[in-house]
Amino acid sequence: MSLHIAGMGWVTPLGRGLEKVWDRLLRGEEAAAQKVSRGAGEPQYPTFLVPKDELGDLPPHPRLRRASPISRFAAAAGLDALETARSAIGEIDATRIALIFAISNGGVIYTARFYGEVVKSGAQSASPLLFPETVFNASASHLAAILGITGASYTLVGDGAVGMLALKMAENLMTDERLDCCLIVGAEEVDWLLCDAYRRWRLLKSRPPIEPFRAPPKGTVLSEGAGAVVLGRKGPVAVDQIHGGTNFWRRNQAAAAIVPVLSNLTDARAKLLISSANGTFVDLAEMVAIHETIPDACVYSCKPALGESVGASALWQVIVAGQSLLSGKQPPLLHLATKDSPGSAEFEPTQSALVLSCGMNQQVAGLRLSI
Amino acid sequence: MRFNAEDIKTSHSRVAIVATGVVSPLGSGLNETLASLKAARDCITPVSRFPVAQCRCQTAGQVDDEKLAEIRTNRKARRLHRASHMMIRALDEALSQDGQFRPEMAVIGTTSGGMSFGENYYRALDQHHDLRHTPRWIANYPPQKPALDALEAFGVSVPCHVIANACASGTNALGHAFDCIRSGKYQRVLTGGYDTLCQLVFVGFDSLQASTPEKCRPFDRDRTGMVLAEGAAIFALENLESAQARGANILAEVIGYGISTDNHHLTQPNPSGIGPRQAMMDALQSAGISGTQVDYINAHGTATVFNDAAEGKAIAELFDRVPVSSTKAMMGHSLGAAGAIEAIISLLAIQHQFLPANINFRAGDEGVNLNIVANEPRSAAIDIVLSNSFGFGGTNASILLQRFHQRPVCDGPIAA
Repeated sequence: MSLHIAGMGWVTPLGRGLEKVWDRLLRGEEAAAQKVSRGAGEPQYPTFLVPKDELGDLPPHPRLRRASPISRFAAAAGLDALETARSAIGEIDATRIALIFAISNGGVIYTARFYGEVVKSGAQSASPLLFPETVFNASASHLAAILGITGASYTLVGDGAVGMLALKMAENLMTDERLDCCLIVGAEEVDWLLCDAYRRWRLLKSRPPIEPFRAPPKGTVLSEGAGAVVLGRKGPVAVDQIHGGTNFWRRNQAAAAIVPVLSNLTDARAKLLISSANGTFVDLAEMVAIHETIPDACVYSCKPALGESVGASALWQVIVAGQSLLSGKQPPLLHLATKDSPGSAEFEPTQSALVLSCGMNQQVAGLRLSI
Repeated sequence: MRFNAEDIKTSHSRVAIVATGVVSPLGSGLNETLASLKAARDCITPVSRFPVAQCRCQTAGQVDDEKLAEIRTNRKARRLHRASHMMIRALDEALSQDGQFRPEMAVIGTTSGGMSFGENYYRALDQHHDLRHTPRWIANYPPQKPALDALEAFGVSVPCHVIANACASGTNALGHAFDCIRSGKYQRVLTGGYDTLCQLVFVGFDSLQASTPEKCRPFDRDRTGMVLAEGAAIFALENLESAQARGANILAEVIGYGISTDNHHLTQPNPSGIGPRQAMMDALQSAGISGTQVDYINAHGTATVFNDAAEGKAIAELFDRVPVSSTKAMMGHSLGAAGAIEAIISLLAIQHQFLPANINFRAGDEGVNLNIVANEPRSAAIDIVLSNSFGFGGTNASILLQRFHQRPVCDGPIAA
């Protein structure tokens, strides 16, 4: 079975639109950090947020009227991906497409608001309007309704690797000849509560930038947005192999979990690795594994520029890999801490690229693309 | 997804159930579960885990913590969420039946994972309580964590897909695992579902007035809503040839799976029953059987006005007086675990040749021709069972289990 990326779309802190964001990454731009806080006098956390004017042209669908930002990001990225896919595979029959949604923290803004009211004022104040939006598959449901999908729709939950797991699930679903394609969407939204949790988890940096491969790691900056990929039977970028991944139980075991994933994926042509380095322990684990498996590869991470968007991040990485292969260009890796770290190798246009996704809560997966 | 006339007919791998495990309000383990089903026991009790004085509904199906005590014997296990304890308990039971089972992948369903740890963290933050425990709560709060904890407890490091398709999650997990083996891509997949009671979800359903202050009465004309529950269930699925080659005990087969999405509303099904109908039809077609071959339907049957009306209508249209019951009346609705637990109940019905009861039933909706297994279990010859799960977001899933026959009695997918 031959699988291809037929379309891509993303909504990021650097804007929306495949080429627009890609051009900004190529120019070495990074998103401007904004502080979020629970209120005056409360701790402030740096985040990379999606510019407010990027979603102005979303269709006026009733499902989006009360939807939280995560659903709006997902709708925008999904619609953009399908639009680009049409040029590769023609019109798309909604009865022959499956939707797979990757999510990590979900609709935290409405969840915090809903539960906050319960804690503050008691169960009688719980909002029946907010509660349904707190359910993990609410965003997928909205997108399915907008697109008219009546068949398979799955929401997967996981850490930063969940987008890669969603692609693996799509590969499994595509063994069914009744499907023409799968739309895979990863999305995330950010608020103060999520930042506070990651800070207490000792993963958050108090101020930008994200410094990839720095030892010791200083932490990451959370971001929001969505990435979407249409996986079909034809398209400009081939998906050679998806490694379904593995798990690590302790942070110091992460490198040992990554090595077999990279070893399994790498081939002689793969000279480019899109890493999930985000300024945390993940970077050092990846550095060890890269040195052991593909020491000469050119390594790039988009997270210093776009932030750590968890549920969306693996899809963003895949889009970066696809764009690199198609354009023969590679953005500069920002804020690289040391000259001998994996990101220092010079980029040469290549026909094959690896994408590695190591999450911050035990999951690892990866894939190899080619043109 | 729909079948078209030109659909390709290929030889499909048969999918065997080789081991299972369960913990639910009906009991811990298959034996206790069977005993509760045979006794038509009402296992709904007053909620004890969080305050419910301001809620309409004040009861739930709860797992007795004593049943999980053996899990919490070491320091690490004590730090884990109850959902992890339940998953470990269920997986332990399954692997004790088949110690040679080596999965290549896990596909597990949930809706809220370790949500109560998230609640603890929020309350501690909001009320400036002792925050020393927050790193533990945060690390163990993510919804996928209980599945990973259970895998770690038994040294199983495989790709783990955790599906959060609301109340259909458990059946979706089983169905996707079935598809993966049936397609020939995988030989052995661990699957199931879990969820535990938490205040956020309990209050949420209460705010929607979907949960009831009265008895849970699925398909009763005077039904007033659901009662929530918790639990976990695990299935070890394997390619039949592989299972037979290594001498595994075949408990039953999974023979069909259907999934559909109803875009009518985020929380309410289309009253026409089109979503459930499509899922059940797809399951029948994927199994290559007709509705007349189904001997029992374990319905989603939440006892909400809207669900039971839509599901009842779809069942009545597709099946001719096939016995139907919702076992949620006995144990409540365990959300992401429900589909997996109800598949266990369906398996027990096949193994022990009985129809589990739909307790608290008095009279059905007028004009809906359903054969409800009212109030008492019944002995019956059961070969094939259909189990339904439908959820928020319009997600619908149906799965078919069959008693194991050496020779197949159906040839896989057929054209519509």
